[in-house]
Amino acid sequence: MQDDDSILATEHLSLYYGDNQALRDISVRIPRNRVTALIGPSGCGKSTLLRCFNRLNDLIEGVRIEGRILFEGRDIRDPGCDVVELRKRIGMVFQKPNPFPSSIYDNVAYGPRVHGVRNRGALDAIVRVSLEAAALWDEVADRLHDSAMGLSGGQQQRLCIARTLAVGPGVILMDEPCSALDPIATSKIENLINDLKEHYTVVIVTHNMQQAARVSDFTGFMYLGRLIEFGPTARIFENPREELTNNYVTGRFG
Amino acid sequence: MPEVLPQPGRLSSLWKRTRRIRERAVRTVWFCTAIVAVVAIFFILVFLVRNGYPIFAEVGVRAFLAGDTWNPTGTPPAYGILPLIAGTLLVTLGAMAIAVPLGIAVAVFIAELAPPRLRGVVKPAVELLAGIPSVVYGFFGLVILTDWIRISFEIPSGETWLAGSILLGIMALPTIVSVSEDAIAAVPRGYREGSLALGATHWQTIAGVVIPGALSGITAAIILGVGRAIGETMAVIMVVGNAAVIPEPLWNVLSPVRTLTGTLGIEMGEAAAGSTHYHALFGVAVVLLAITLAVNLIARYVLLRLGGPARRARRGHSGAAKPFARAVPGLLAAATGIPAAAVPLPGAARAGRRVSPKTRQKIAFWLMYASTGIVLLFLGVILFDIVSNGLPALSWEFLTAPPRDLGRAGGIGPAILGTIYLVGGAILFALPIGIGAAIYLHEYTRGGRVAGIIRAGADLLNGTPSIVFGLFGFAFLVLYLNLGVSLLAGLVTLGLMILPTIIRTTEEALASIPAGVREGSLALGATHWQTIWRVVLPPAVPGILTGTILSIGRAAGETAPILFTAVVFSRRLLPGSVMEPVMALPYHLFILATNVPGARENQYGTALVLLALVTAVYLVAIFVRSRYRSSARW
Repeated sequence: MQDDDSILATEHLSLYYGDNQALRDISVRIPRNRVTALIGPSGCGKSTLLRCFNRLNDLIEGVRIEGRILFEGRDIRDPGCDVVELRKRIGMVFQKPNPFPSSIYDNVAYGPRVHGVRNRGALDAIVRVSLEAAALWDEVADRLHDSAMGLSGGQQQRLCIARTLAVGPGVILMDEPCSALDPIATSKIENLINDLKEHYTVVIVTHNMQQAARVSDFTGFMYLGRLIEFGPTARIFENPREELTNNYVTGRFG
Repeated sequence: MPEVLPQPGRLSSLWKRTRRIRERAVRTVWFCTAIVAVVAIFFILVFLVRNGYPIFAEVGVRAFLAGDTWNPTGTPPAYGILPLIAGTLLVTLGAMAIAVPLGIAVAVFIAELAPPRLRGVVKPAVELLAGIPSVVYGFFGLVILTDWIRISFEIPSGETWLAGSILLGIMALPTIVSVSEDAIAAVPRGYREGSLALGATHWQTIAGVVIPGALSGITAAIILGVGRAIGETMAVIMVVGNAAVIPEPLWNVLSPVRTLTGTLGIEMGEAAAGSTHYHALFGVAVVLLAITLAVNLIARYVLLRLGGPARRARRGHSGAAKPFARAVPGLLAAATGIPAAAVPLPGAARAGRRVSPKTRQKIAFWLMYASTGIVLLFLGVILFDIVSNGLPALSWEFLTAPPRDLGRAGGIGPAILGTIYLVGGAILFALPIGIGAAIYLHEYTRGGRVAGIIRAGADLLNGTPSIVFGLFGFAFLVLYLNLGVSLLAGLVTLGLMILPTIIRTTEEALASIPAGVREGSLALGATHWQTIWRVVLPPAVPGILTGTILSIGRAAGETAPILFTAVVFSRRLLPGSVMEPVMALPYHLFILATNVPGARENQYGTALVLLALVTAVYLVAIFVRSRYRSSARW
């Protein structure tokens, strides 16, 4: 893989929660405009790694990081890096849908508003295309000003995706976005991920291997804080090089 | 894929710069308010301790704490506060003997037994008890309760330990009921279902699973009730006789007593600054602070140590399994019909093993109903007495005119206005500082040690008896800063008193906003302040508002802090500047009731107006809370 192809990368990244080391010497390159899945058993550090990319770990007390995290070739932990802009350009969808307790419209318009969009017409357009892109428009078009808390779990999650799209990120991080959803809602989100990769780089954490196989182009397998193996999804699942990976994807543990 | 979607792009550098400056400015403002709050809190503590220290040096720690005579104006003066400590403890003990069983029974009734409609009546009724100003309680105690005791026991005066305990018991009830009820309601449904599924009766489930599960909350409720009883000043002064004697024998409930807080309220105005007496009063305040600290620490320890299932579940820890493990023995006991360890009413426990579970349930429920009836009766009697006797006094002239003939005639207009000035000023002073400090503490610090110390200081002052604030205001603002008895000194004192409450309720409101919401906003590239302003504050507003309104109610009804800082009994004119003293409703009622014979009608009228004013404020708070509660829920 060439440098030009990767949008995100880490170099010898280690992360500690106090004395507890959660990530061990991880070097990875996330390819641009592809879907990359991070798989591995619970507690292997995949969510932690994901949260490194938009520096959301900054909010946790006692976190210490070593190594480099690169976004478009620049270290995001550099003091000169603007974390607010970073998060504008790297969106995130969380495990549990977390819409704001306001209307559907205001949820989606929130991001553009904080970034200075005031024009009503522009906001309307952004809200509409974002909801369309998140495959939610048809379901909520007639009740945009109802509370987002009244949506179903799957709808809330797609709303959170629409909210992320409305900011115009280049990368979308997804932290087990379907783990709180039923199979139908899950398949809707998966279809959505497939559509998104045309324009976005998606990094998705999942502990559902079928999901990783279905949606991703590249897969990284993590175990006990280490990145054991990284490569095209088909190869990881059909012809893994590492014994550990093989055991995991064939369901022998995990 | 639609092409109109916003494309990835960088923010312009001008935009970035203004944004960074704004972030820093906002942060600085909140930081400054936090500093002001912190300095105020710790200055009060240091000031009290510094002025109290000389008495311990002069008289000696043992002679001061264990001396059995308090007579600071005698020759030679005596500064032993043992009778005062005894008075405080005995009155509190008696109050708890009344309030604890009644309070827990009412809490169980509200949380477990009452049909929704009845709950909707009983709960606000109990909250209304909390809203009655202490001077109104004192007035009721003085006119009705002490009279009743005098006649029933055929003693020369009804101003006794018993009267104080009954009154304080009623006053502590709302605290015990509402905190216990919260704890009971927070016991997870699964526990109840588990017990009922085993064939336990409703009462066995309550006694064996629900109450043990809520035990830490109930214990904390009792401790908070104790704190409330110890800190009360005005109501106590009016009914306990205030003789600094240790009852003889110790259990003689018909003996007059005097409490620590009462001593401050009575003697504060007469002690010359810098005299031994003055330092002795500060010594009393320090003892009160120490008691408050102990009560706080015990309450916190109990909550942490026993850590009810409610708290853990709310924090979302996996520890939810633990309280269940603890509840299992109780569950087994309930299932096998063996009386569980924690039965709130001694009567029910004695019902014995042979009585069938159903009969025991009947007896227990009957006791709950009866307790609730008694509490409602208290409220009914007090309200009926004040309203029926107060209404005839009300007229346009009474509400607007100044008092004549020592308040026997004329009105209370200047007192109403004075109260509004005092409370409005206190809120203007305390609200920005309190809210700003809370935002800084909760949103900008990551709960480090400094924030912890500030929080502990705020907690300590939060439970501190209001008379201690009065003492501080008098000694520091009135005497040392030479503001004199003035509106300014009074509103600053009141403001300082409600500051810790505002800080704490704001912090709680902020803490109730889930972290996921903040992360969601930050992940979209919103700045720290944008996140606070647009996402965190809006849903926190009802909580902050409720806390503020409750503070207004408290400030309006308080007498002790303004006793020697702001008020005069009679004043024809309204104050021309903040440096002049004002009239205030609670103080007016206090003097009318204790010093002016033959003013019965105007006493009741003043009590009714004060009660109506404070109740109205509380009703607004309840309305705001219920109005907003439905709109934000996660």
